Amino acid sequence: MKYLPLLSAALRRRRARTLLTLLSIVTAFFLFGALQGFNVGINSAFKLVNVAHLIVMSRVSMNDPMPVSHAARIAEIKGVAAVTPINFIFGSYQQPSNIQVVLGVDLAQLFKVNADMEVAPDQLAAALRTRTGVIVGRALAHKEGWRIGDRIPIHALNASKRDGTSDWTFDVVGFYDLPQPEWAVRIWANYAYINEGRAAGKDTAIQFYVGVQDASQSARIAQAIDDTFANSPDQTVTQNEKDYLQSIMHQIGDIGFLVNAIVGAVFFTLLFLTANTMAQSVRERVPELAVLKTLGFTDAGVQWLVLGEALLLSLSGAALGLALAALVLPRLTSTLSTQGIGPMHVPHLVFAAGAGLAVLLALVSGVPPASRARRLRIAAALSGR
Amino acid sequence: MAAVVSIHNVVKRYTRGKQQVEVLHGLNLEVEGGEFLALMGPSGSGKTTLLNLIGGLDRPDSGEVTVAGERIDRLSSGELARWRARHVGFVFQFYNLLPVLTAERNVEVPLLLTKLSRAQRKRNVHAALELVGLADRAKHKPAELSGGQQQRVAIARALIADPTLLVCDEPTGDLDRENAEEILKLLEILNRTQGKTIIMVTHDPLAAAHATRKLLVDKGRLTVHEERTAA
Repeated sequence: MKYLPLLSAALRRRRARTLLTLLSIVTAFFLFGALQGFNVGINSAFKLVNVAHLIVMSRVSMNDPMPVSHAARIAEIKGVAAVTPINFIFGSYQQPSNIQVVLGVDLAQLFKVNADMEVAPDQLAAALRTRTGVIVGRALAHKEGWRIGDRIPIHALNASKRDGTSDWTFDVVGFYDLPQPEWAVRIWANYAYINEGRAAGKDTAIQFYVGVQDASQSARIAQAIDDTFANSPDQTVTQNEKDYLQSIMHQIGDIGFLVNAIVGAVFFTLLFLTANTMAQSVRERVPELAVLKTLGFTDAGVQWLVLGEALLLSLSGAALGLALAALVLPRLTSTLSTQGIGPMHVPHLVFAAGAGLAVLLALVSGVPPASRARRLRIAAALSGR
Repeated sequence: MAAVVSIHNVVKRYTRGKQQVEVLHGLNLEVEGGEFLALMGPSGSGKTTLLNLIGGLDRPDSGEVTVAGERIDRLSSGELARWRARHVGFVFQFYNLLPVLTAERNVEVPLLLTKLSRAQRKRNVHAALELVGLADRAKHKPAELSGGQQQRVAIARALIADPTLLVCDEPTGDLDRENAEEILKLLEILNRTQGKTIIMVTHDPLAAAHATRKLLVDKGRLTVHEERTAA
């Protein structure tokens, strides 16, 4: 600790350069922490989804509509507990940047398919008898400041109305909760209201959401659903929620690989930057290091001082970056949960790995200048030779 | 008084390009404890090289260098560093203070190598700055001090660990006459009142006049020009 003033003084010698290097390290470690936290969010999403919930989509593509009559035939399959068709509109609320998705479903069936969703019976009843009624996730309602009785205008981007406009109006009649509160971010509307109001795609559904009586039978039931429509012009592909989420994520790419590639590239660049800073710093301070040796610091002592500078810079940058990521990630969770991402946080292991990376960065960037400082010959350095 | 510095048949060579240049040719020197020795001579005569050997900053190619009772030419690099910390205080022409540290932090640096507590270090630093008349400038950085004040801080740093020997390389070379006189008087007081052994390299005959003995280094040899005055 007594050498700390010497270390910090060395870093303060060129404040702007040190600050810029520190900012680079903070940014790199923020990215490292945030991307690892994002990975955690994705993995936790997989843990939270239920294999007892099946998603039925068109075999042609996930955006291809299917006849709503499929719902009745799915309901007849042995082991199916409940089924609802899903249509949707997405559009802006109040501002073009505030995009909301409204899912049209058979509300009575929806809460049977997914028993994790909790809604007050009187609110569900209100939604069933109010054509424009919607049940809103409490997290979303909290974010938007919606209360029961509020009217939500949505300017649709994918569904024009029969009257030629794209403005849909919904009335908030209730809220639903989930065991994972920040995931309650959907708007559930009556299928019939959207179906009858839209200009195109009448009596179709983009998905069917199916609940099964026995989760262990979900694979058999999924196969049975697809077999039912195997000879129809509207063939289906049925997956449980976990497989569905994985297929969505695979469309984005291998998240783990992307995260590692980005972090790898960032750290590779950072290595050169930090190494350059340290090399310059030592080059400029050759006479000062020689003075330290003159005063009795050993070769190894001076070497450790230079390595200490690299460690101080690297560890403080890493601590700041990871702390920033830990602070920001929970705030992003509510925003990204609409995209199917689970709760995000920086795991303890990432902090430990970050500390390890910071030490590695300090060693790789600090060892060459530290060795130079160790080899420094006092008489030559003092005379400028 | 016993010799603090004893040098026998010291040879020092430097390599310049492909050539080897012998700077000191079998030099002999004895300096007694409590002496204030001025080493004079023209540029390139080898006086700084000799001072570096005495201060343990460099090693001879042959010969013996005994300072404060230790054959320092035989010490390893680490032993030599620890020996310097215990026995030698250095004062340079251009002060060589660490620019980002305050005066008190600069003076404290040699004490970081000791086991003294922070409070004790602080007390010693204050005493050293008091001795050189700069206690009120303790919080100032070198750039905020005049040349003379910076050299006083350097002297305080050289004295802080109570070394056996003070080694000064052109300590007034960068100062005006008035400041130079003040520094030389300070060195003289340290020599007379505290009995510090001082070896000073200088070009300046007026600076050398403050010493108790003067030696001329010329072409790597000590010449007969030697006089001794009462301390």
